[in-house]
Amino acid sequence: MAVQPKQKEKVDARGDSKSATEPRLPLSGIRVIDVATFIAAPYAAGILGEFGADVLKVEHPFGGDPCRNFGTATKRGDTLAWLSEARNKKSVTLDLRTPDGAEIFKKLVTKSDVLCENFRPGTLEKWGLGWEVMHELNPGLIMLRISGYGQSGPYRDRPGFARIAHAVGGLAYLAGMPRETPVTPGSTTLGDYLTGLYGAIGILLALRYKDKTGKGQYIDAALYESIFRLSDEMAPAYAAYGTVRERTGPHNPIACPLGHFRTKDDKWVAFACTTDKLFEALAEAMDRPELASNALYGRHQKRLESRHDVNDVVSAWCGSLTREEVEAKCYATGAPYAPLDNIADIFANRQFHARRNLVAVDDPDLGDTLIVPCSLPRLSETPGEINSLGPALGQHTDEVLEGLLGMSPSEIKRLHDGRVI
Amino acid sequence: MSEETQDSGARRSKSEAQEEARAEDLASQAREEPAEGSKGLPLDGVRVVDVGNFIAGPYAASILSEFGAEVYKVEYPIAGDPLRALGTPSRRADSTLFWLSEARNRKSVTINLRQPTGAKLFRKLVAKCDVLVESFRPGTMESWGVGWDTLSKDNPGLVMLRVTGYGQTGPFKNHRGFAHLAHAFGGLSYLCGFPGQTPTIPGPNPLADYMVSLYGAIGIMLALRYRDQTGRGQYIDIGTYEAVFRQLDELPTAYGVHGKIREREGSGTIIACPHGHFRTKDDKWVAIACTNDKMFARLAEDAMQRPELAAEASFGLKHKRLAARTEVDRIVADWTASLTRDELMEKCLAAQVPIGALNSIADIFADPHYQAREDLVTIDDPDVGEITVPGVFPKLSETPGRIEHLGPPLGNMTDKVLGELLGLTNAELAEFHKNHVI
Repeated sequence: MAVQPKQKEKVDARGDSKSATEPRLPLSGIRVIDVATFIAAPYAAGILGEFGADVLKVEHPFGGDPCRNFGTATKRGDTLAWLSEARNKKSVTLDLRTPDGAEIFKKLVTKSDVLCENFRPGTLEKWGLGWEVMHELNPGLIMLRISGYGQSGPYRDRPGFARIAHAVGGLAYLAGMPRETPVTPGSTTLGDYLTGLYGAIGILLALRYKDKTGKGQYIDAALYESIFRLSDEMAPAYAAYGTVRERTGPHNPIACPLGHFRTKDDKWVAFACTTDKLFEALAEAMDRPELASNALYGRHQKRLESRHDVNDVVSAWCGSLTREEVEAKCYATGAPYAPLDNIADIFANRQFHARRNLVAVDDPDLGDTLIVPCSLPRLSETPGEINSLGPALGQHTDEVLEGLLGMSPSEIKRLHDGRVI
Repeated sequence: MSEETQDSGARRSKSEAQEEARAEDLASQAREEPAEGSKGLPLDGVRVVDVGNFIAGPYAASILSEFGAEVYKVEYPIAGDPLRALGTPSRRADSTLFWLSEARNRKSVTINLRQPTGAKLFRKLVAKCDVLVESFRPGTMESWGVGWDTLSKDNPGLVMLRVTGYGQTGPFKNHRGFAHLAHAFGGLSYLCGFPGQTPTIPGPNPLADYMVSLYGAIGIMLALRYRDQTGRGQYIDIGTYEAVFRQLDELPTAYGVHGKIREREGSGTIIACPHGHFRTKDDKWVAIACTNDKMFARLAEDAMQRPELAAEASFGLKHKRLAARTEVDRIVADWTASLTRDELMEKCLAAQVPIGALNSIADIFADPHYQAREDLVTIDDPDVGEITVPGVFPKLSETPGRIEHLGPPLGNMTDKVLGELLGLTNAELAEFHKNHVI
């Protein structure tokens, strides 16, 4: 295995130069309740947590967020996905289905700025904890509501997962070989992350509006919509000309070569010659400058017409060299190349190291160090932080109920005994 | 928080030009005060300069514009943003459909940054704005004298989004970056396709360009908030590949601990079954996602009417289904092939089995849910006629975003913006036009 970067993301030490009254991070002082599950809305809360918000993860007392069981388990019981994605959060258990639990939840939300949820529409309402109730309790509240199909429309009650959203949103149809079975577009959770990003944008917009007007609002985000929004000109092109985009296998037909090729050592590379100049750089890397002549494939239109020939020539060249050799030649001429990396390649990649994309974080419970993806985006003055990994279930329940809601130890004990927390 | 006192404290240190700009800002905000009954938008009064190309970066500016920001698209005078030439032509020579949709809400201002006079003009414009979005290769803006150091000295509160293929640092920072390469470099393409076969592209869309812009928009909103509290601007540095890599759930963590390399998994996944794509009798496709035993039981018993499949001895337990993935998928595929997509959807939905149509864009246009959610918006543009584009996401209850107009003709607001905002006279504008500065 590759050498791993061992630096732990440090608490920003530049606090000294700032005045004591200034916030350390953009969301210092903001409290977020994350009562959602898996990745979608929790990822929005996760981003807020990296940039200073205090995130309270409210979970069912028995089992907690099912993300704790998603993927590879650790010694501690919780999975790696949980440890990585529930970073910076505090876990508070609460059974929202009990009257006591619902009451405590209302108190928590009253003391918070943001609430993130991704139950099926109507679920929180059923428990008496819907938007109307919450908004009345806390008029400045911002509520992120993520679901498969959104809060309205004929499909709102259907079960939704990212896999379904990739299909409904039009992405799955485009991945795979022409006319063959569509494949998973790389990952089964893309739609969750993307919707988390839209959710975070919605929350930050709403926070700004609240700062100006005092008014809260809710954000209604659907998994399939996040996928659909990334479909470039498919909608206008269909409306204008009835163009239906199909699966195109390893190549994108808008330019050539623009696709994936195998090297001699059985690895893969990607090229993206979107202009004549870039093809010229590739031809030079191949040591075959004549390919880029006008008589041959110098012009975009000509390459598109002869795409099979061009791809064959490039394939043959890639197949005659190791990936390292292809890479060296392409980087030398500025050809639009990238290695098509698996995770082992990525751990060995110098750019990932230089950019500290992989962060080692110690987990005291695990007695071990985990490598997790760094906080994004990277802000020059207030970079995000990873101060802890996903917490144990209920790790912060007593602390939060006592510290934030002022409950007495005997009350808290009663709630534990009643299995409310 | 004591926003006002901190704000004024920071403002005092600024140059007089800044004070002037601020006064003008306030005046223009007053002019743009929403009419009675209108709620205003979160980014009213925020000015954004978008000097990026294509989608990576500029889409962040689009989101800001949808929620109230005024966006000036600064383009090279002769040809403009190359996105104008990418994709399907429209009735207007300088705008493809792609441009019309994604350059929504912008005002086009042509400035030639490669000329010192143009660079100077650009600095003046940025000094009057809150946000700058750029996507040149690292060092390019610096070579024109409009890098971060210069611009932030002119405007200490400036927020600058810098999007490139590989970020502003590291050994690969100068390499070519396109979405296609970012999918490969970020680890997504490797996972797309059937095991042992050529990796396919994760859809012929510039996914990564959109993804990185979402992070960009988040960065800008965070930085604006921090600036409002402290007066200090900052820049945001993100590589397109990073946005892709960040969204791969436990992939890095599992490799770090167990050295586990995830491979291509075809149309399914190795962590649940049945969880993939299936063909129907009418030659369409659906996605089915049974993530646990309960869902599989509902599929077998209620939808397929084959309760024996859900018996513990058969495929009732997840580990058994995973061990016999091929067989389970085949049984489900045989069943789906015996029904039309409509019949199949009906049976599965009645049984609460997670299923979705694998939509083409034609299916999407016919889908009642898309219509009910107003996900597709048709804009009637005087130049190009009716154009249908994706709506505004996310949907906010109190301040939903807006699409005021489609991507503009090249330079449609150059004189207006430079005249009104920077006070250029007609004679000066004419001179700049003549010399191809604007």
